[in-house]
Amino acid sequence: MAANWYSAPAPVARRVRGFFAPVNRGAQSPVVFDPVQQGRFSMDTPPAPWVNLGWIQDFARKSSSKTASVMAGIPASALEQVRETLAAEVSFQFLSWTKLTMALATGSQHMNLLASASGLTVAADGPQAIAAVTPQSGSTANSILLTAVDAAKFSPGSLAAVDTDYSGQTGYVGSPVAGAFLRQPLTDVDYIRRVTFNVGLVTAVNPTGITLAEPLLGGAPGAGAKVQAVTGFVDREGGSFYQEWSALFVMEGSQGERIFFHYPRLQSMAGGEEAAVPLAGKQKTGHARIRLKGQFMALPVTDPMDGERVVCYRSFLPAANALI
Amino acid sequence: MQNAKDSFYLALRTRLTTINPERTILVRGALRPGILVEEAEGPLSQIPSDVFVLRWQGLGVDVDLDSTLVAEECEILYQTLGTQSFGGLDRGRMLSAMDEELLAMVQPFYTPKLNYSATPPATMLTQVFWDEPSFTPAVTMRDRLSRSAKVLVYSYQEQGE
Repeated sequence: MAANWYSAPAPVARRVRGFFAPVNRGAQSPVVFDPVQQGRFSMDTPPAPWVNLGWIQDFARKSSSKTASVMAGIPASALEQVRETLAAEVSFQFLSWTKLTMALATGSQHMNLLASASGLTVAADGPQAIAAVTPQSGSTANSILLTAVDAAKFSPGSLAAVDTDYSGQTGYVGSPVAGAFLRQPLTDVDYIRRVTFNVGLVTAVNPTGITLAEPLLGGAPGAGAKVQAVTGFVDREGGSFYQEWSALFVMEGSQGERIFFHYPRLQSMAGGEEAAVPLAGKQKTGHARIRLKGQFMALPVTDPMDGERVVCYRSFLPAANALI
Repeated sequence: MQNAKDSFYLALRTRLTTINPERTILVRGALRPGILVEEAEGPLSQIPSDVFVLRWQGLGVDVDLDSTLVAEECEILYQTLGTQSFGGLDRGRMLSAMDEELLAMVQPFYTPKLNYSATPPATMLTQVFWDEPSFTPAVTMRDRLSRSAKVLVYSYQEQGE
């Protein structure tokens, strides 16, 4: 067999796509992306547990690692180089506002506004919530089985959070995504559902339960999980918690080549910030798209292949028949 | 360059047959999808209604690359009078429908490059790719509503081209 080839110029890409996956904070275990086995995945259906966050804009990555020279001799000259610090930053803007993009673009924990009865004491994070209901056995990641009475508490088009009751634990809470870090016990039984990422849009309600538009990030409700209605989201400037995710950015070239930037550990490093981009190019007033700005610091992992500490993997899958 | 132009046209034509199989035109006795290349047809005094007409215009070349990059500007013209059953009062809706069809036709923004001078067409090594269409304002000429969109179509020159 023989193959023809052509000389490929630098890749031409239109956009950058972002995928994120939760880091197991307790075990400090990031999600690994394998470009050999997973590199040709469909951009609309990334391999689990990667979550597609859509196209992003103004993607910029910057290495802030510092290198120093070991000087020797008279006059001194560089004998060799050593890496003094290892650091990198990534910034970009999300084109959509979702639970996940908001959480990633805030420097702190991101919370669900749980639905409450009216007339309660006002609270910036939402007042005491309406009591959660318990899913029936047989529920799946996007079909939550409930009794008819409980199902009637939800309506199509509403949001629902699914997670366990808070029972006084400290440390990272929320699974598989750690939504907060508690240094001391709280008394709010709904706290985990306030910070959980297992949130979905209710598309149908019937006497046997509710159907969600997309599967819950954490999969089918586990033992002890309960369901609560959500009215919106809130995050705060301040606090001590930092979001940490594994990130994968993909540039797809015009000839089918792919460039991957895999950051096993990416922590948000700036507070919530937005960018208003006018819809009509030159118009400064009028409608503007509000984009979420994200700025992240890459944290190191140890590559098991050779024990080196690294913050990012850049992979390149050439186009078919392209000369390398 | 001709291979890129042919591939772009055939890609759009194939996609149109899926998006709206009812958009057709009778050309020299043959019923074809409703998309034509102006330079490959007899001279037109006026572009036909309810059909997409591709007009190739500008040309740019970057020879500083390992493979020469060619950019060709394609203007896609279309117009409508609406339907007879509504007395033409639906011409705005018909133009909107064509806007949407065009937007759907150009996505995804690439297609394999084929050499259509061979039989059967031979798949080449590279892909043809293009930018988002740039739509012009709609033009009203009596009962005729028209618009055009420009697309920059890129391709790499391969050996033998």
